[in-house]
Amino acid sequence: MRILLAEDDAMLGDGLRAGLRQAGFQVDWVRDGLAAQRELCSGVYAAAVLDLGLPLKDGLEVLKAVRERKIDTPILVLTARDAVPDRVVGLDTGADDYVIKPVDLHELAARLRSLVRRALGQLQDTLRYGTVELNASARCVSLGGEVVLLSMREYDLLHALMRNAGRVLSREQLEQQMYSWGHEVESNTIEVHIHHLRRKLGSELIQTVRGVGYMVQRDPPSA
Amino acid sequence: MNAPRKQPSLQNRLLLLVLGFAVAVWLGAAVITWRDAQHEIDELLDGHLAQAAALLLVQAQGDHDDVSDAPVLHKYAPQVVFQVFVEGQLITRSANAGQQPLSQRDEGFSTVRREDGELWRVVSAHEKHHDITVLVGEKVKSRRAILWALMRSLLQPLLLALPLFGLALWWSVRKGLAPIRALRDTLERRAPHTVEPLLLARMPRELAPLVQTLNGLLERIDQMVQIERRFTADAAHELRTPIAAIRAQAQVAMGAGEDEAERNHALQTTLAGCDRASHLIDQMLTLARLEAAPAVQAGDVDLSGVARRVAGELVHTALRRKQEISVLADVACPVAANELLLGVLVRNLLDNALRYSPDGARVELTVNANAPGVVLTVQDSGPGMTQEAIAHLGERFFRVLGSEQTGSGLGWSIVRRLLAVFGAQAQIGRSTELGGLSVAVRWPAQPR
Repeated sequence: MRILLAEDDAMLGDGLRAGLRQAGFQVDWVRDGLAAQRELCSGVYAAAVLDLGLPLKDGLEVLKAVRERKIDTPILVLTARDAVPDRVVGLDTGADDYVIKPVDLHELAARLRSLVRRALGQLQDTLRYGTVELNASARCVSLGGEVVLLSMREYDLLHALMRNAGRVLSREQLEQQMYSWGHEVESNTIEVHIHHLRRKLGSELIQTVRGVGYMVQRDPPSA
Repeated sequence: MNAPRKQPSLQNRLLLLVLGFAVAVWLGAAVITWRDAQHEIDELLDGHLAQAAALLLVQAQGDHDDVSDAPVLHKYAPQVVFQVFVEGQLITRSANAGQQPLSQRDEGFSTVRREDGELWRVVSAHEKHHDITVLVGEKVKSRRAILWALMRSLLQPLLLALPLFGLALWWSVRKGLAPIRALRDTLERRAPHTVEPLLLARMPRELAPLVQTLNGLLERIDQMVQIERRFTADAAHELRTPIAAIRAQAQVAMGAGEDEAERNHALQTTLAGCDRASHLIDQMLTLARLEAAPAVQAGDVDLSGVARRVAGELVHTALRRKQEISVLADVACPVAANELLLGVLVRNLLDNALRYSPDGARVELTVNANAPGVVLTVQDSGPGMTQEAIAHLGERFFRVLGSEQTGSGLGWSIVRRLLAVFGAQAQIGRSTELGGLSVAVRWPAQPR
């Protein structure tokens, strides 16, 4: 999952980025409010972590501007402002979660997963298609109860397709959701990963919509 | 917010003043009326007495054979008395007149007390040719009775009107002062922390300046509250961010697994975070101590010596970033300061210069005693500061945007506080020699 991290403090930003990467997120890190707003408006992020005390544009202003543009990316506000009125304003301005610094990285990752899940209308952490199960918090995929080993990219690709089940995703959309900045994507990478996934999980899981992209159906066709 | 009993009341004051003034005017009018009426009554009745005396005189010239008492014709007659003497002999008198002459006076008016204890107004008339003396008297009491009757009819309605007037006055004053009470109620009803200005519309002219002053005060309080609120928010941010960073980095180090490079980086950053947090805590404590103890014992301290010592202490920090410190402070320059605090001042200035200058920068520390007073100058070859940033200096936790360094934003607050303690002044600008920031601290020349 690709997320945006907006934090101006070099030390904390570095730590959060490293920690969230360890938790399996693709992290893009911006250090000021204007950049945060610009990136949020691109709409490619599954979620965002937003510090409020940002230079150039305050986090609350960014939040307001983004929500006014109907961007519904789940946003977790991570701030030192702990007063109740601040929290109320933050949540009312459009934050989906409000976390006070310092925060446990595992908790932050879990909250982000939960935000993404809720944004997609899922109730549970586990996505299912037939006998294929994907557990997002454990980053674990199983087929008929047997754990299937996937590479990081393969998992990310499957996760993107399964959490958007029923929607066709183009190659560009998949790349945007899987790769943070600074990663060169070769032209046939997605095809290669799809090929591997089909080999490991069966060919009927991922369907190719010719000329458009790939999709996972909501439910397997009834036999 | 009830006023204590002893406090003067504007309403009572107004009421007392107006009521007192009205009563005084009425009393004055009554006295004048009294005297006027008395004068008129005396004039009229004296005239009557004189007329009566003249009548008797004329009559007495005719017959004065024997002594006779005049009959009493009316029940009010005893109020009046007369005697007629011819050649010293009493020949005619009223029934209540007695034998003795009413008055010793021969001619004109007199007021006498008779044997009955009453005061009588007596007119005496004398006719030389027949040696006839006529005395006509009238009770003074009856004159007073007329006066009283007159005054009663005048004063009684006034006495009745006075309480009514007082009541009307009380009502008017209360009504007139209603805006003051309305203002008080408005203030009382406010939530304790509201600082919105009061509305000036419909406020009487007399109260408007008061309300304006009050609004000004509220505005200043609001500003102070805002500053305090921002300070708390900033302090929370400044304290929590390094801790959050340390926590995150430590967790990253734990989760690094096989990745040696990532773990090392995270651990190193954790250490740097600890240094940063401890620097921040030092700065906050220094500032707190300075704000708690404003007055410090000051003696003569050699500024050059302190500058050299502090530069020596910071040389290692500078070398780590290949920065160069040069000190031009050879002559001893005594300034009025506390040695410990002077060290804090110089250290903060030098530390700031090093912190916000790039690797390999030059920082110059100069102590100059030739100018009027003593001047300590710290210059660097760093990026300097914009005028706007200089204006924001000293707001606690203000930091120049985009600077990579982990300053607390408290350094300048400390410097400013110390300058106030020492009575020194600072000038901030661009260094002409090194191109970066220049801070010149000037101690005024000491009186010898």
